[in-house]
Amino acid sequence: MGSILIVAEVQKGAIREASFEVATFAQKVAGATGRDVKSLVAGKGIGALAEEFAKRGGGEVFAADHELLEHYSVDTLGVAVRAAIEASGADVILFSNTPSGWDIAPRVAAELDAGFVSDCFSIEVEEGKIVYHRRVFNGKLDARLTISSEKAVATVQPGATAAFEGATDGSVSQLELSLSADDLRVRFVETKIAESKGVDLTKANVIVAGGRGVGAPEKFQEVLKPLVDALGGAMGASRPVVDAGWLPHEYQVGSSGQVVQPKLYIACGISGAIQHLVGMKTSNFIIAINKDPDAPIFEVADLGVVADLLEIVPALTSAVQAAKG
Amino acid sequence: MKIIVCLKQVPHQDARLDIRSDGAWIQEEGIKFEINTYDTYALEEALRIKDAAEAEVVVVSIGPDRVTQALRTALGMGADRAIHVKDPEAEASDAIGLAKILAAIVKAESPDLVIMGMMSDDGNFAAIAPMLAGLTDMPHTTAAVKVERSNGTLRIDREIEGGAREVVELRSPCVIAVQTGINQVRYASLKGIMAAKKKPFDVKSIADLGLGGQVGAAAVKVRIEKISPPVKGERAEILEGSTQEIADRLVGKIKELGLL
Ligand SMILES: Cc1cc2nc3c(=O)[nH]c(=O)nc-3n(C[C@H](O)[C@H](O)[C@H](O)COP(=O)(O)OP(=O)(O)OC[C@H]3O[C@@H](n4cnc5c(N)ncnc54)[C@H](O)[C@@H]3O)c2cc1C
Ligand SMILES: Nc1ncnc2c1ncn2[C@@H]1O[C@H](COP(=O)(O)O)[C@@H](O)[C@H]1O
Repeated sequence: MGSILIVAEVQKGAIREASFEVATFAQKVAGATGRDVKSLVAGKGIGALAEEFAKRGGGEVFAADHELLEHYSVDTLGVAVRAAIEASGADVILFSNTPSGWDIAPRVAAELDAGFVSDCFSIEVEEGKIVYHRRVFNGKLDARLTISSEKAVATVQPGATAAFEGATDGSVSQLELSLSADDLRVRFVETKIAESKGVDLTKANVIVAGGRGVGAPEKFQEVLKPLVDALGGAMGASRPVVDAGWLPHEYQVGSSGQVVQPKLYIACGISGAIQHLVGMKTSNFIIAINKDPDAPIFEVADLGVVADLLEIVPALTSAVQAAKG
Repeated sequence: MKIIVCLKQVPHQDARLDIRSDGAWIQEEGIKFEINTYDTYALEEALRIKDAAEAEVVVVSIGPDRVTQALRTALGMGADRAIHVKDPEAEASDAIGLAKILAAIVKAESPDLVIMGMMSDDGNFAAIAPMLAGLTDMPHTTAAVKVERSNGTLRIDREIEGGAREVVELRSPCVIAVQTGINQVRYASLKGIMAAKKKPFDVKSIADLGLGGQVGAAAVKVRIEKISPPVKGERAEILEGSTQEIADRLVGKIKELGLL
């Protein structure tokens, strides 16, 4: 039996929470299949982090400490990952589905000629087989997958499970790598932080958010805006609305937009893909209006209306106005 | 300069998703298909490079007969040439199999740039672009939201979390997977659609690509065993009644929350 290798991620001088979540699945699968958990901690000046990860779920940690590992590059991290796979004899390699994980993991799989599964919300062992669970059709359906190749590579959805809480008898060994700046074919230049342009949705008490189901840009003004005004709230949007240029980027709620937590979030014509949900699911109260009774937004909503938003929203606006007198 | 754009045709975003009798995928008969959203942005990005410089844009798609329509649309938008890999074995491939097919085409065409979507709207694998890059030993990047070119170097803004961006530089030839919203996608003009009819359109099989036995059903490593509606957790209370009754109940709740 091989082992499970976790490729941990270092961000702002700490191991990311998402890596401890990967450890939760790794430990569970290892326990059920008789594998060991091993990990790679790569970065610059990561000695103490490698020690910490070894004790908190990472098990036998390979530490790759190098100046060229300070910023993510598929080239340098790739060298470290290949060395760690070799040193660990791993047959299951797990990353988190973060901007570096989703960038490198499929490439590693192709190089190993291994089966690859992305963005798993659960990894379980059933009758001795590892089963990967993930969403398809942008969150509308669940899929259960198995991998039959000798090696398997997967990424885990951040936030899908709790961080590993137990203690492990870990150890740390150094992974010696010869990296040179000349090997960098993808070169990190800089990070640009999100510029805020005045619309701060995080301060709003009420957000009325529209998705692709609103249907047209003018409907945001004609149908959603009166409700926003009646409730004294702010307007929000899903990504396709912003991509289409219907509203500027600062209105976007989700993993690549703003993370909001208002007292009331009204989602209109939004299906509820995970990237949207992570931006609003901790709102105090959620109302969802969607004509599809199976839309995943209803999984996080407190109250749901299965109907055409173009009928419900104007009626709700009038009722709010009437209630205010 | 030669640019390859890989396009997938996927069920229309508003298509009904009924599960097939074997439970392993959706029922594809009788529903509408369209070009994967991410790939429309990939094609537009290639066409913009062509608008600004001398470039040939080649669109490639693996899939059944219906894919002809997607490729014709791409030619109508301004692509110069299409390659359709049409073979039941190709369709039975998993992501790594599809990546191997695309790699065979890329090796034969030796483009300066391959532009793809970051993810397919149906399978959501987000796998093929980095896989293709690995198989062809080209540098790659994903989640591109801005592409700038100067002398064979590409400067890419890639989207990371919370609206932040990471700027990277890579040299051509390379593979770029684009995120939605990177540009505003054009429509095929009537003139473009007419012109498309005369553009080269190649159809290839797995055997033509020299990949017999290496891809397809027998080589599948990842198997979708079952798809199902998401497990219902603590589901929302669904309000029933007339529009007026529903509006009144919602107002009642909003009052209860102290927001009115
Ligand atoms: C890396 C990455 C980052 C992403 N970041 C974000 C992000 O920050 N924010 C985000 O939102 N998405 C993000 N996405 C995109 C996400 O995966 C989904 O594609 C997106 O959230 C879908 O938006 P939507 O719900 O508006 O559209 P759809 O999924 O198309 O849903 C439209 C909904 O409207 C309903 N509808 C249609 N007409 C009506 C009507 N008349 N009345 C009522 N209901 C109607 C339909 O039933 C459907 O459920 C990201 C994706 C990736 C890969
Ligand atoms: N059947 C296909 N034919 C051509 N290109 C494809 C095909 N499937 C996926 N792609 C490309 O690979 C990208 C990522 O898809 P995926 O890895 O399946 O999520 C898509 O956006 C397309 O650019």
